Amino acid sequence: MTSSLLRTLIPFDIYGGMKLTGKYFGKVLRQANRGAKRTHIVVEYPEVPTTLMPRFRGRLQMIKDEQGEVKCVCCLACEKICPTQVITIEKGKKEGRKTPFPVRYDFEMERCIFCEFCVESCGFDSIILNHQFELAAYDREDFSHAMEGGFQNMFDTTPVGHYSVASDD
Amino acid sequence: MTPTLFQYLTISLLQIIVILGFVMTLVPLLTFAERKVIAYVQVRLGATRVAGGLWGAQRGRTHQSRTLTGGLNGLMWFLGRVPVFSILRGLPMFIADALKLLTKEDIVPTDADKAVFVLSPALAMVAAFTVFAAISFAPGALFYFPAKFPFLGGLPFNGFLTDLNVGLLFILGVASVGVYGIVLGAWASNSKYPLLGGLRSAAQIVSYEVPLTLSLLVPVVLTGSLNFNEMSTRMAVDVPANGLVGIGRTLLMFVGFFVYTTCGFAETNRTPFDLAEAENELVAGFHTEYSGMKFSFYFLSEYASMITVSALAAAFFLGGHYLMPFGLQHVWNHFFQHSSNAFLAWTCMPSILWFLLKIFFLLFCFLWVRATVPRYRYDQLMNVGWKFLIPYTLVMFVIAALLRYAA
Ligand code: SF4
Ligand code: SF4
Repeated sequence: MTSSLLRTLIPFDIYGGMKLTGKYFGKVLRQANRGAKRTHIVVEYPEVPTTLMPRFRGRLQMIKDEQGEVKCVCCLACEKICPTQVITIEKGKKEGRKTPFPVRYDFEMERCIFCEFCVESCGFDSIILNHQFELAAYDREDFSHAMEGGFQNMFDTTPVGHYSVASDD
Repeated sequence: MTPTLFQYLTISLLQIIVILGFVMTLVPLLTFAERKVIAYVQVRLGATRVAGGLWGAQRGRTHQSRTLTGGLNGLMWFLGRVPVFSILRGLPMFIADALKLLTKEDIVPTDADKAVFVLSPALAMVAAFTVFAAISFAPGALFYFPAKFPFLGGLPFNGFLTDLNVGLLFILGVASVGVYGIVLGAWASNSKYPLLGGLRSAAQIVSYEVPLTLSLLVPVVLTGSLNFNEMSTRMAVDVPANGLVGIGRTLLMFVGFFVYTTCGFAETNRTPFDLAEAENELVAGFHTEYSGMKFSFYFLSEYASMITVSALAAAFFLGGHYLMPFGLQHVWNHFFQHSSNAFLAWTCMPSILWFLLKIFFLLFCFLWVRATVPRYRYDQLMNVGWKFLIPYTLVMFVIAALLRYAA
């Protein structure tokens, strides 16, 4: 009774909150420089490269095996499962290769929602979502990716990506 | 040496320029400080660079481009490595903010009451700035013009504009006119969100005017004066006849400080009482329809009244021009007045420095509270005002009267 009356008359909660925020203010004020030890959670992005989480879902990329051969066998699982239907595959043959070879593998990034269903459905580990997040472009064509031709290459990074890297792991 | 009328007017003009310049530079710095303080409290960094490319095309990393802003960003990027000065990163942003407000298109809604719409921001700003006429930043002369100075030689340059004998009444009266700016502007916009915001603001300010004035009656009763200078000096250094009265006075001032600042927060429409501009309910409240320079008038007046509230709290509760808050200066003076240490002896003297330091600290508290306390609901706001603050201040008033009687 007395304590509840006291809590009503004197705002202890506000005092506690002010203490907490004051503590953080002091901490960040002391370590707002780019020292080794820092309290704040901000990454000064264009200048300082970030470390991405291993499961970060960036742009779709195709992988080659040790012989430099495309791993995809045209099972069309990714094309079927893609909720936005941005993958188009054309089955073909290549001499000296037992499995089918994708003559065409088109990926139109402008509608991709980066859900990673395609990667999960692929039983041959032939595609990944790499760690590239700077995907903005000035041209609509820059969002179209293919294995060859006038489009962006499915194996390389996009040219606009200055700061983020594509990786194969 | 008494000045002639013309000399008097010249000095007054200079004082007005100095005080207005002080407030006008403090306000944009305050907006910058607001960003930084709130960012730091939320474990962020706040503004650290200026966007865009003035004088030249921006390409590549922001701090490497060969533009004016790029150069500034490079400098600030370097500052980021220096521990203390890293706070200053993003400082040019306030110039960018001001430029943005100045160059923005000024829209007057078609159905607005044009005259009132244009006049009310000016009303709010005039009310907020006129108050500084009665606030004294230093108790006496700030400095004397040197004897060789043409026309004004040997005359004092005071730390205040006028030494009104009803200074407190003047401040409270003029500050209350500011609510007309808000309500009229809201009404003249001819739009529902501003109207609701303005009505809320009117109810809120009228409710909180009562405890605010009542809490300021405590120093009035204790000192028996309405003169700003005399009140702040006597609140700081008056020696009570017996010790018990002194302790009671200090406690009363301690509680009164918090009650007064709470009311001050409500008077200036600051969080946690910024119901007039509750974004999630009212878009932006009373200034929804305002843009460009007219909006920045409201903005300026809000920050100027923050400075006013801080100045009053610093003067009447935190010891004004003296070092120690809550009327403890006489204890300090008792120990250090005749000290051989020149610095300690100096701390017993009134100085504009202490006053400005207290104002800056209180302004920081404004931002600190904004980053901490969430907005009250409207009925809670009214409850706090009528059910807690008014009884509190009435009790304080009675205690103050008893202390006055006992002293
Ligand atoms: S990430 Fe999702 S949307 Fe994008 S291509 Fe793969 S399945 Fe389609
Ligand atoms: S699921 Fe894998 S193997 Fe099958 S078509 Fe897609 S990328 Fe090729």
